[in-house]
Amino acid sequence: MNQKFLKKKFYLYYLNPKIDFPSRYERREYAFIHFGEETMHRHISFNAKEKLLDYLKVNVPMHSYYSSAYYQNPSADNMNEKKWMGADLIFDLDADDLPSADKLTYEEALEKIKRELMKLLDFLIEDFGFDEKNITVYFSGHRGYHCHVTDKRVLELGSQERREIVDYIMARGLELKEIIKERPIQKGKFLDKTLEINPEKGGWKGRIARAIIKFFKEIKEMEREKALQELEKIHGIGRKMAEKIYDVLHDERKIERIEEGKIDQATEFKKIIKPLIKKIAISLYSQTDEPVTADIKRLIRLPGSLHGKTGLKVTKVSNIEEFNPLNDAVVFGDDMVKIKVEKPFKIKMKEEKYELKKGIVKVPEYVAVFAIARNFATHS
Amino acid sequence: MDLFKIAKYPFIEEAKEWVRKEKIDVEEILFDGIYERARNRGVERVMQALYKGIINDAILLNEVDCMMEVLSYPIARMLVVAIESDYLLRRYALAEAKKAYENMKRDSPEIIIEIGKEFGIEFKDGCIHFTDYLKFAPTWDIKWKLVNRELRQGYVRLDKNEIARLLQEAIRKKIYDELSYLFAPQEVKKVFKEEIIAIRNKIALKERKETEKYEDINFEDFPPCIKNLISAIKSGINVPHVGRFTVVTFLNAIGQSTNEILKIFSSIPDFNEEKTLYQIEHITGKISGTIYSTPKCDTIRTWGLCYPDELCKKIWHPLIYYRKKRRK
Repeated sequence: MNQKFLKKKFYLYYLNPKIDFPSRYERREYAFIHFGEETMHRHISFNAKEKLLDYLKVNVPMHSYYSSAYYQNPSADNMNEKKWMGADLIFDLDADDLPSADKLTYEEALEKIKRELMKLLDFLIEDFGFDEKNITVYFSGHRGYHCHVTDKRVLELGSQERREIVDYIMARGLELKEIIKERPIQKGKFLDKTLEINPEKGGWKGRIARAIIKFFKEIKEMEREKALQELEKIHGIGRKMAEKIYDVLHDERKIERIEEGKIDQATEFKKIIKPLIKKIAISLYSQTDEPVTADIKRLIRLPGSLHGKTGLKVTKVSNIEEFNPLNDAVVFGDDMVKIKVEKPFKIKMKEEKYELKKGIVKVPEYVAVFAIARNFATHS
Repeated sequence: MDLFKIAKYPFIEEAKEWVRKEKIDVEEILFDGIYERARNRGVERVMQALYKGIINDAILLNEVDCMMEVLSYPIARMLVVAIESDYLLRRYALAEAKKAYENMKRDSPEIIIEIGKEFGIEFKDGCIHFTDYLKFAPTWDIKWKLVNRELRQGYVRLDKNEIARLLQEAIRKKIYDELSYLFAPQEVKKVFKEEIIAIRNKIALKERKETEKYEDINFEDFPPCIKNLISAIKSGINVPHVGRFTVVTFLNAIGQSTNEILKIFSSIPDFNEEKTLYQIEHITGKISGTIYSTPKCDTIRTWGLCYPDELCKKIWHPLIYYRKKRRK
């Protein structure tokens, strides 16, 4: 019943869908999951755009995917015969992989993953130097974003090389002593160490330095008690150490040295760096082995297709700050539909708040599709 | 044409160009008495590669010295191909690359950039594009990991020696790839008949030494991180570089041979025997001189590869785990 309702609605969309065809679309493998089926229809290719549109119209898939890779024979059923030619670099940021995923509401998760996306874009543009016109962001249709990089220089990178890019943005394998120099200095009888930082530098070197300076500024501007509390939140810093750091930040002579990029009392200050790195890096803890993808042959949702578990469209995002999936990825109309709510839920769609309790209610079509696809309600 | 330059770097396009222009053909190089010096030096190149892992610089005082040096390079290549041993091929490619590396370190940055451009490397203010960096950098080594590098606007900042080190890998790869699908002219086998036999014997000896049986190794005694990594590798899951690195250092430390380690990796999806072997031999110190040690638990944890069990709580290094288990 539910599946039938969704399929009917999807069909109406696929009569005239807004598909963004992937570049070199004829070289890609396509894969679909149909309503009422579990297995994936794979190894499909299309040599004309109309044929793909026909497929969608005739089969009305619940989920539609294409390969990030280009193949000589995209419809061959094994890798050897497919003959890999290259692949886009794709980052798949999914809220399910956030550290506290299960405690977040749908909207909170979307908002959080957006923060990660902003960090990712900053890495891609500032550090990796990709041109913005070679980066496209899509809302995944569910709880995440896909970021496609189509720069020709990345197409032929192998999986190990891609993994280096992933490690970079997640700060995996980052070795502080390779990045920040520690110089031993004589201090009276003792040997102390000085950290050397330089905010002008590229890569993590500069990023960490800028984060340290920003953090110092914030601490310095706080009242003493608040600053100490803030410092004590950091693992390994107790009251005494917090006081020491706070005092250094209010010592003019020492501030001058910090501005020159030299931080004395390395032991204390190094404790601050770890949490700062965590804040800068993309933090996703995926259940599978790959949080963001290094795979050179993965399947990715077809832009413009519908996600079978939400009814939302895989939508191109042009203004990330303003993008609101529950508004901008909605394709269905507002005719009123009767549904039977099985699991109460709250959602804000198209600027309208819905708080649905168990029982039969009348809601706009787009809310109905979303609720039924998410298994919160049944069609009645 | 700078003869001194092409004598130092006989693999560059300019060297080929020069041989073509001088109209010296294979027949002449192989038989003409005037080139005997070049032939001797060619044999020496191969011998040094095999015995020492690097080729010494020849003394280049005048243009004739340079000419002989340039011509000795194609001779050495023909000889290597004629011997038909992958072991020698790998060793030779590396030895030539190392020789070039030593020279580049002493040479001007301009020459390094010139050679780099031959490998399609993009330079910008002495920095190189990260995609080129990733192609050639030994990123299993923590200090070469991209995350520990200064990367800005797509370019990685490296010092002169580091660029030379990257080029060493590019050169090694080029020579290896070129020689892998070449066949030696029949005459080469005749001219160097004795040398070929001697070198083949030496190789057989060396290979036998490497495959000698080591003590029995019990997979069950491995710490969970290593077990997990090995099963992942064996089932074809793509394991991160650091994970592969950990496995290699661990197996090496407990006395597994290069070939046994290689076997484990043969099921990875993008398996490339030559590349894998090179990495194993590098990590285990067979060709680099440095034996990389197994990372400690802390490090493995930060890589997200730690799956601790009860015994893990008491130890700080995977090898200690193994030894404790063995003692039981």
